Amino acid sequence: MKMENAILIKNGFFFNSRQNKIVPGDIYIENGKVAEIGKDISYAGEDVSVIDASGLTAIPGLIDMHVHLREPGFEDEETIASGARAALKGGVTALAAMPNTNPPADSEQLIKYILTAGSATDCRIYPIACLTKGQEGKEMTEMGILSEAGAAGFSDDGMPVMDGKLMYEIMKYSLQFGKPLILHEEDLYFSGPGLMHEGEFSTRLGLEGIPSLADEVMIARDIMLAEKTGARIHITHLSSSGGVELVRQAKSSGANISCDVTPHHLFFNDSILETFNTNFKVKPPIRSRADQAALMEGLKDGTIDAIASDHAPHLDTEKNTTFKLASFGTTGLETFFAACYTRLVSENGMGIEKLIPLLTEGPAKILGIEKNRIEKGHRACIALVDTDAEFVVKREDFISKSKNSAFLGLKLRGVVRYTISGGKIVYGKK
Amino acid sequence: MLSKKSILSVDDLDTGEIMQVLESADSFMDISRREIKKVPTLRGKTVASLFFEPSTRTRISFEIAAKRLSADIVNFSAQASSLLKGETIMDTLRTILSMQVDLLVIRHRDSGTVKLMDSVVNVPVINAGDGKHQHPTQALLDIYTIKNHFNRLEGLKVALVGDYINSRVARSCQSLFEKMGLEVTIVAPAMLLPEDWSGFKVEHSIDRIIEDTDILYMLRMQFERQDRKLYPSVREYNRYLSLDMKRLSRMKKDSVVMHPGPVNRGIEIYDEIMELAKEKGNNILIDEQVTAGVAVRMALLYLVLGQS
Repeated sequence: MKMENAILIKNGFFFNSRQNKIVPGDIYIENGKVAEIGKDISYAGEDVSVIDASGLTAIPGLIDMHVHLREPGFEDEETIASGARAALKGGVTALAAMPNTNPPADSEQLIKYILTAGSATDCRIYPIACLTKGQEGKEMTEMGILSEAGAAGFSDDGMPVMDGKLMYEIMKYSLQFGKPLILHEEDLYFSGPGLMHEGEFSTRLGLEGIPSLADEVMIARDIMLAEKTGARIHITHLSSSGGVELVRQAKSSGANISCDVTPHHLFFNDSILETFNTNFKVKPPIRSRADQAALMEGLKDGTIDAIASDHAPHLDTEKNTTFKLASFGTTGLETFFAACYTRLVSENGMGIEKLIPLLTEGPAKILGIEKNRIEKGHRACIALVDTDAEFVVKREDFISKSKNSAFLGLKLRGVVRYTISGGKIVYGKK
Repeated sequence: MLSKKSILSVDDLDTGEIMQVLESADSFMDISRREIKKVPTLRGKTVASLFFEPSTRTRISFEIAAKRLSADIVNFSAQASSLLKGETIMDTLRTILSMQVDLLVIRHRDSGTVKLMDSVVNVPVINAGDGKHQHPTQALLDIYTIKNHFNRLEGLKVALVGDYINSRVARSCQSLFEKMGLEVTIVAPAMLLPEDWSGFKVEHSIDRIIEDTDILYMLRMQFERQDRKLYPSVREYNRYLSLDMKRLSRMKKDSVVMHPGPVNRGIEIYDEIMELAKEKGNNILIDEQVTAGVAVRMALLYLVLGQS
């Protein structure tokens, strides 16, 4: 009888987290864990699934710290199960689920529900709880009870807390529980009815603008509050050069702050909006070429700690409409690795050993969760990627329930061939 | 012969094509002056005009233009507010196309929507105004009016006065006028300008240009498109941006006043000037613009459809 849990990955390379480089080696997995790494491991026998990894590189399973799974409430867009499958196809074996569901994840029951539904998938799901009850920005949630129930962090994501005093109180209280506050920074008065980055292109296209200041005044406020309180804050999806600079300065003055950026903000700039393609309608908006370059610089100098997809599934009816009426967001799980690899490694010459921590150790450290490493004794969460292969992003290839990808039609490099999670092959040819 | 299937933006026409439109408009102007104002040019063609935003003059202007060319025209109007999901506009579009129309004239409240609709249909589309984005036929009728009046375009000084940020007319005119060699100045306060106006020649008060401009083009204050009331008051507007008799008297001898209509009396232009505009021999071209609108739209329908 074939043992499901014994896998031998042969003839490939793997990312050695300690040496921080790609080296050749076989990996033997047993009972969910990496049992051995070495040259020419040979465990013959029917009980072992052998993967010929010639031309492939084993990298730690990716950790996507910003995902909208839409369950409960919007199961026609995505569910915990369908989102997990999309994640695994993208090489993501752990993800943080944002709380803007319906009802929002502001209660102990809901956190437990997400954990239970998540544990039925092959992806590790970390629920993020709301900062304020009902994401209304009025009263803080039961941060203690929610932490104990298993919330990995707190966020009101798209509904930023406009009340500075409340945010100050939340930050002070959050110190008791040590969970990060994940902040979508947007001053709602500044963004108003805005649809895209305010600049040359918004003027020409007659689309209402969202100035960079909308993000920056809130980032500045929360940095001040975090410096005062010592709270652990994480600025999610940075979009502007001013935002990067604010975080850079805060870090150099010792604030307990981290930040991430999305693949689509790295990949595109606002000139792409000339198409009026609603898949590029995202929040924060895709900003100017200079902002795009500043985000790249922030990754290179270590200001930016992680890359997160902000996977935001939407129905066709929410996207195939006027630019004004269309919903904000692009999917991102299935293109996560390829978009990052193409943009950063292929096009910008970043070493893959610099990219991988941004997708693994970086987010794990921010959330304080288990790291994915290819090391003896570690839980076997691994993606096998072919970094020479290219593919065109096609609508019919998505397994997410939603198809609203900003990357549709693009040729990307870096194909996930297999995903192993908890010692099982959960994606790819068995 | 136009190179593009549809006219969605003034940028869809090159200089040669613009001249072609203006020349055709000249001959259609003659037809409009005849006793029998009708030619069989587009007999058997069906034009559907879809207005997802209220409009009087543009819709009627297209209707008269189509009828003078013997095309059949049907009008569909819907308040965009009653269409909550865009799915509905796409369904409407499919329904109308199933009736085998030859050309669509579309206006929509939201920027980019005419382009979106054009991308899913095979028949040509003429943009009759989309959100704050483009209104190409307005800019073309304006340039035609200017050319008719001055007999030249190159080097004329034009000031676009007022609510630039919310105006599709301003965007279209600025781009077309510059392409045709006019010198464009935008006269507007900071909150009615884009965040970055470094590429524009800007003044903040009408008094700075009134004595020097050839064409004073007053923009309609788009109260209905203001997302948030930023301009303090009408009184403040009058102080810096309105045209009253005193300012009119300071204008150059052969200069003209234009407005895309409908005029907010007492805001962009004072009542007394609107009354003056009814008299003969004045230099207020608002009625001439409307007349030119029919001829220019006939020219566009002819060029887009007549040769297909």
